[in-house]
Amino acid sequence: MVHVLEDPSAQAIAHVYSNAFLNVAESVGIDGVLEELASFLDDVLEQNPEFRNILLSDIVSRDDKLAMIDRVVAPLGTELFTNFLRTLARHERLELLPLILSESWLLHESRTGRKRVQVLSARPLSEAALHDVQTRLDATFSFDPILETQTNPALLGGLVIRVDNTVYDGSLKNRLKQLQDRLCKRSLHEIQSGRDRFSHPEGD
Amino acid sequence: MKFKADEIASVIQKEIEDFRGSIETSEVGRVLEVGDGIARCYGLSNAMASEMVEFPSGVQGMVFNLEENSVGIIILGDYLDIHEGDEVKCTGRLLSVPVGEAMIGRVVDPLGKPLDGKGPIVASERRPIETIAPGVAGRQPVKEPLQTGIKAIDSMTPIGRGQRELIIGDRKTGKTTIALDTIINQKDGNVTCIYVACGQRSANVAAVVDLLTTHGAMDYTIVIAASASDPAPLQYVAPYAGAAMAEHFMHQGQHTLVIYDDLSKQAQAYRQLSLLMRRPPGREAYPGDIFYCHSRLLERAVKLSDELGGGSMTALPIIETLEGEVSAYIPTNVISITDGQIYLEPDLFFAGVRPAINVGISVSRVGGNAQNKAMKKIAGSLRLDLAAFRELEAFAQLGTELDKATQAQLDRGYRMVEILKQPQYEPMHVADQVISIFASANGYFDDIPASQTSRAEKELLQFMKEQKSEVRDNLIKLAELNDDSVDELKSALDEFKRGFQLETKEQPTAAST
Repeated sequence: MVHVLEDPSAQAIAHVYSNAFLNVAESVGIDGVLEELASFLDDVLEQNPEFRNILLSDIVSRDDKLAMIDRVVAPLGTELFTNFLRTLARHERLELLPLILSESWLLHESRTGRKRVQVLSARPLSEAALHDVQTRLDATFSFDPILETQTNPALLGGLVIRVDNTVYDGSLKNRLKQLQDRLCKRSLHEIQSGRDRFSHPEGD
Repeated sequence: MKFKADEIASVIQKEIEDFRGSIETSEVGRVLEVGDGIARCYGLSNAMASEMVEFPSGVQGMVFNLEENSVGIIILGDYLDIHEGDEVKCTGRLLSVPVGEAMIGRVVDPLGKPLDGKGPIVASERRPIETIAPGVAGRQPVKEPLQTGIKAIDSMTPIGRGQRELIIGDRKTGKTTIALDTIINQKDGNVTCIYVACGQRSANVAAVVDLLTTHGAMDYTIVIAASASDPAPLQYVAPYAGAAMAEHFMHQGQHTLVIYDDLSKQAQAYRQLSLLMRRPPGREAYPGDIFYCHSRLLERAVKLSDELGGGSMTALPIIETLEGEVSAYIPTNVISITDGQIYLEPDLFFAGVRPAINVGISVSRVGGNAQNKAMKKIAGSLRLDLAAFRELEAFAQLGTELDKATQAQLDRGYRMVEILKQPQYEPMHVADQVISIFASANGYFDDIPASQTSRAEKELLQFMKEQKSEVRDNLIKLAELNDDSVDELKSALDEFKRGFQLETKEQPTAAST
């Protein structure tokens, strides 16, 4: 799900880098490389905020950043990952790293025929219900759905399933709204025809 | 009528029992930013240009900009209820308005929702607000007159059905009055009128509705109101909505008249939207497609070919100028699109010449073919006479002594100007117009003081209506002036003059006592 403060254009750029990164990583094994990227973010940058600040700062020059990557990351990381960091540093795109990680995961999933599917329900779904939903979705979609469940009491009942930008709304709230629209429309016609009957000089 | 509670309850119960809700599939996006009538959204990857979208608060929007990573949406309603992160849904439909007989007599907003408190509008049909204008084969030349009931217009800048005639002038020069006179004059005719108020003060719109109601003109008129306090997107779509409602009647073979009051405000609303959407500004900061914005709207005014039913849409766009500046961007654009213009001048207005039409620079490029033949005959020289009079008038102001012929021409001119004056909301039948103009052009008012010309005209018309109705009826029936009818008319005028002279003789004595 896109957060409102996220910048769609940054995401588009991150997508390009992730694509290239995964293409290169295919020869070595994607899981290992993605794990390395995640660990770099979690174990290195998270744990050492000063290092992160220097690496992401605009004040530090490109050459200094490159030298620092050579000194700190190169001896410990794989060559592929270090090269990727250098490329990002050279293009001054290091701040996109967290976005690149999440984009890479999504891309990797879609390449292996999997896709995230958000399932919204009014109450938390039981294991059995979730299993049912999973099997039904498996049968419906051409890809392998990965379920992400969320709850929203405002739905009242039923399920809302979202794949990418498409929403399948089968919630009770939506059905009630449909019923309301239909009743409104029906009674509007009743009222109008009743009024026409009175206003017509030759009416019954 | 009284509802029976049990009956209603059982109907509702049955409705609920039979209800089978279906799963609704829709494409969604998320609002990234919102403000000033526009929203920028992420997602909506399959959104189409001009597609309608829906916000959670029920407010509708229209896709305006399709960009690489986001979609620009104009919000057709209250944008204060929309927040960052809200889900926005594609509807797969184009923006459309309800059309048909049910709309007549109503005051609606540009989306067709009633504003007059007369209950809901049940229209069975809808029509997209943007449609392509009929092509060359679907049209025929303008040849049927649309009478405005205003002497100065019907004689010198005649308007035909299917024509686009611009009304242009400074503020407070009577632009709207001309348009309203034209609507009022369609009474007992077969023309459906649509008045689009765009960026007007709500008080003005209320006054217009009140006026049309008192003159019985709301029976065949639809008023579309997007007042100055409505968001810019609504002001922008209002003229297109008006055109769509008129098109519905036009395609059924009926005649329609649409008044866009006024297009300069609509251009400003469009400029606001375009700047907020970061489209590059051009001259006077208007976007590059402001010309297309107006040309595609006015191109929809058309006289359809007989195969398509022969219906017509006449458009009277109004443009407000600043200090008579017709060479500003929007006025020149609209002048070049329309088939002529009626130019109103504040100087004439304050000199008491009302309607304050400058006949010298007002033109109608196609209406001449549509003009009533009788009118055409007598009005042929009117414009030239008036132009000559204006020249002489300037010369006479120098105080030089004039020869008799020139003085006579001047006197005739003064009376002609008097005859072309007309009070507001009193449109005249074309036969009455012919009689008045014929009388003054043939010197029947020459010996009456200019200040009394209007009284003389009034009495003449009354005389013709009451005592010489056969002459007037003949004029209406023939719709042209042949030798016989000219003789008839002349003898009737002579008779009137004999009666009138007596009254004018009493006038000075009455004044002196």
